[in-house]
Amino acid sequence: MDDQTIICRCEEVTAGEIRRALEAGLTTPGEIRKYTRAGMGSCQGRTCQKLLVDMIRQYTKSDEIPEDTIKARAPMVKVTLGELADWKEED
Amino acid sequence: MRHPVLGDAKEREIIHFTYNGKPLEAYEGESVAAALIANGIRVFRHSSKKHEPRGVFCAIGHCTDCVMRVDGVENVKTCVTRVKEGMEVFGEYE
Repeated sequence: MDDQTIICRCEEVTAGEIRRALEAGLTTPGEIRKYTRAGMGSCQGRTCQKLLVDMIRQYTKSDEIPEDTIKARAPMVKVTLGELADWKEED
Repeated sequence: MRHPVLGDAKEREIIHFTYNGKPLEAYEGESVAAALIANGIRVFRHSSKKHEPRGVFCAIGHCTDCVMRVDGVENVKTCVTRVKEGMEVFGEYE
């Protein structure tokens, strides 16, 4: 992957930017997310998270899934405030 | 039209929708994204930072590259939304 390759499509973060973050000592997805915004865009890491984890594992020469990896959690899809406001708990 | 595995394509009803006010035709049951591509529209929006063109990327409702305003609702994923008669679709950048 060259430096121009886009890793996070939503925030347009390139492999070069991720590499610089790794070289600066940031080695968990959460740290890189806060530093570069990779994974903070409209798809919330659905596209870039695996690539980001792969880059971290290559850099740290580790087979482990790094802690701090973004995990899917509720709400699983986009929910509007209107939908939440109309929501009623069923007995 | 004949597909080697699926056989003959079924006759489908043609419906009408608009894209940025322009009237277009679509087959009933297909997605908004499929209808736009069939009408030659491949650039759905431009990215906010580098203003690069974006179109259908994942086509399964994950990547949000195909989002548009559909019938007044912003950020609708057009790849997983069926096109309907009279639907008004607006691209974010035009």
